[in-house]
Formats: sequence, C-alpha cells, structure tokens
Amino acid sequence: MLEPINLEKTKNSPEIILNKQEAEFKIAGRSIVEDPKEFYSPIYNWLEEYIKTPLKNTDFTFDLEYFNSSSARQIMELIMLLEKIPETGNKVKVLWLYEEGDEMSKERGDEIKLVSKLDFEISEYPSEDF
Amino acid sequence: MTTNTIYQFYRLLEKDAISFSYRGSFSNNVLTMATQLFKDNVEEKHERLRNKLSFLMIESFQNISRYADTEESLNLDENSEFFMTRNIGDTFYVISANLIDNDKIPTVREKLERVNTLDKSELNKLYREVLTNKQINEKGGAGLGFIEMVRKTKGKLPFDFVTIDNKRSMFFMQIELRNPKEDDGLPSISLSDAKQIQALVAQENILMMHKGDYSEDAIGPMLKMVEENMQNVSLKIHKKIFHFLVEILQNISKHSYAVNGKHEGIFQIGYENKRYNIGTGNFILNTEIKNLKTQLDTVNNKTVDELNEMYRKYLREGKTTKSGSAGLGLIDLARETEDKINYEFVKINDTYSFYSLTVKF
Repeated sequence: MLEPINLEKTKNSPEIILNKQEAEFKIAGRSIVEDPKEFYSPIYNWLEEYIKTPLKNTDFTFDLEYFNSSSARQIMELIMLLEKIPETGNKVKVLWLYEEGDEMSKERGDEIKLVSKLDFEISEYPSEDF
Repeated sequence: MTTNTIYQFYRLLEKDAISFSYRGSFSNNVLTMATQLFKDNVEEKHERLRNKLSFLMIESFQNISRYADTEESLNLDENSEFFMTRNIGDTFYVISANLIDNDKIPTVREKLERVNTLDKSELNKLYREVLTNKQINEKGGAGLGFIEMVRKTKGKLPFDFVTIDNKRSMFFMQIELRNPKEDDGLPSISLSDAKQIQALVAQENILMMHKGDYSEDAIGPMLKMVEENMQNVSLKIHKKIFHFLVEILQNISKHSYAVNGKHEGIFQIGYENKRYNIGTGNFILNTEIKNLKTQLDTVNNKTVDELNEMYRKYLREGKTTKSGSAGLGLIDLARETEDKINYEFVKINDTYSFYSLTVKF
C-alpha cells in the first residue's frame, strides 16, 4: 500500500498532500526552495509508484502562489509522470487554481498547459483579502 | 538606476557588513521588518547590542514622523524621507533624513545642542525633568527621544540642516552605537557620508536598498520585508517584483563568489517613470564571466516568442549540457523585463569582478 504524503507548507515550500485512499492530490502554496530537486524527489518517487496502479480518476490540484524557475522544472517533471496515467486506461486531470487578479500564476498555468499533454482545467478563486 | 549606480553604491558601502536604507512614505511595517532584518543578521559578537539597536532604530524612525512635514504625499521626490541603518566593523549607524519647516529648526537645534554637551548625570537629570514636566511635553516628545539616543549610545548626535528653500530644509541626524566589548580601531563615519548616500539614493530614484550576506538564510527576511511593504501595489505588480527577487537573490546565493566566506551582495528597488527597477550586484570569479556573458547575450538577443519557446522546451527537456545555454531563471528574466537585462562587469582584482544587473518592468 502506498503510504500517504502529507507535508505542511513552510515559508519556502508548498503544502503537499498525496493520498490515494482519499483520492486527494494537491500541491499548494509557494515553492521557492533553493534545491527543488531534493525537495521534490520523494514526491516524484511517490508518483512514480502511484502511476503504475492509479485510481480510475486522478484529479491533481496545483494552487501555487509563487514558484521559482528551478521549481518550475520539477513541477513539470511531476506533470510528465502524470501524462503516463492514460496508458493504464485511467483518467487524469490537472486543476490549476489561482487567486483572482493573479495574472502571473494564471499565465504560468497557461504555459504549463501548453507544454503538457494533459487535460488541464485552469480556474480562478476569489481573493481572500477584504 | 543603472548597472553603474549599483557599482557606485558598492563602493560607498564597501565596508558595510549589513546596510539597509529606505526612502518614501513611512509605515510601521517598514520599521518592524528593518529591525527584524538586523536582529536576524547581526554577527554573534554584536548580539548583546541587538535590543539597543532596535530601540534606536525605532526612536530614529519615529523621530522622522514626529518632525516630518505632516503633508502626506504619495509621490516620491528628492526630498522624501530617508532612513538607513548600517553596520561597519564594530559600530552601528542609524541615519534619518526628513523635511522640516525652517521655523522649527531653532527649537530642534537647541535641543540637540543641549543633549550633545551634557554628561551622563546631567542627561539623567534632564530626562527626569522633561518626563515630569507637562508644559514642555506638548510636541509629543520634547526632546525625550534625543536624550534617550544619547543616553543609550554614550555619544554625540551629529546633525545638520540643509536648506531647500525659504520654507523647508532637510534635517539629517546620525546615531552611532559602538560595541563596547570590541574595538575595530576604525574612525567614525561622518554625517557627510550619509548625506552623500541620501543624495545618490534620491537622484537615482531608489526606494529600498540592502547590502549584506546573501546566503540562503539571509534571503528569507529580505523577501518577507519586500513582500510586506508592497501591500499598496496591485497583486500583478506585487507578484512580479517578488518573482524577480526570488530569482535574482537566489542566483546571488548560488552563483556568486564568496569573499571571506560571505556571499556579499547588494540589491536595490527603484521606481522611475512609472516603472520598477530591480538591481543587484555581487562578486563573480573572472573565469566565469565569459560563460555568463554568453548566456546573457543569448537571451538578450532573442525575441519574446523565441524566449517563450526556449523556456517551454527547457521545461520538458531540462538543461542541455551545451556550454552557454542559459538557465530557466535568466530566460524568465529576459522575457518578463520591459527592456533587456542590463549588465556590467567591473574587475576588482585578478581573481574576481563585480557583476551588476538591472531589470525593468
């Protein structure tokens, strides 16, 4: 059985929830870690295992307020793993969320959507302020 | 602000282990973050000065708002309030500059001249007098701040008034806090040094400037401060500034040449012609310049479409091993900046050079 990963967010790294039993897959917050390769390697390993026998439907949520360029590369690595899910006859979808008015996060989502082969849903949520 | 401006500041602040300056409208936010920055980053041997330094920074900062022109203005000009804290050797300096009405000058001058001539017991006596005298307490301070500054530093308060016109002057003051347990033997920095820095900061339209050690731990508080002070800009600009800063500062911490074990760097945020400017400066090994220059020229000579294509290819494929291929960070900077990435290398010695960079958006 694949043990869930549950990482709380820090000032430099995002919250990460990977839970097959609950069908919850989420990366949220900011990712400005200086060594993203090291940070994302357990996530990568988990997903590599997961995609062998994925759920019928995998909805993977990204809700990233910031990510540095080296994190972008690692996030893409995760997305490329997800691209293998359809080969097993199962479905996968990326839900890319951004805060209202946050054009940068939207643009970043659009861009990753453009280079990925996945079903990508980009949506805005209301600003938390005021 | 140009790449050469950054070099000029590097020369002016060459001896500073840490320095931070801020120009513009003053909020407690800036103050909280500035004090935190020094709390987190002063060397261990100065630890016992930390509380005193915070206290003096607060007094000086509040002094600016107390004597400053009450007219609030969002537009920065050459007379905007200025605040700076610097650490050189075993001494900390807290500098303030603000507008003052010419008719208030005699009162302020008198208070300052008085505290500068008193000894310890006279100061204590004056402090108690002012504290208990309701009559002279009406201007929300009556010099208590000055008395406290002198009592805490055991020194004098250099000050000056620089006339602007027949109504207003710029009021400069400098607090000097020496570590009594250490003696670096360095002479004190004069107030004219601070005046020179303020003039250049104003002339180059710089809002915020920091010099210090850009190791990974030091970047965090820096980013936090910038973030907290951008509450009044739109989310779009806010994100962009933050994004650029992360890339640029992490770049310094990762790739700069460490002199005496420190990744020394300087960074500035400016605002000019409705555009933000971010500038950084750090050391780089002479042997690395050629490769870096190739990367910078490569991204500078590409169109935005070409850069986008490069970025997207890189996202999927990762870095090619070919030398001169730019990293994601540089490609990203190049496609987001309004202009090109401006850069300059100034040779310091046979081993390393000073590398400065500015981007505008």
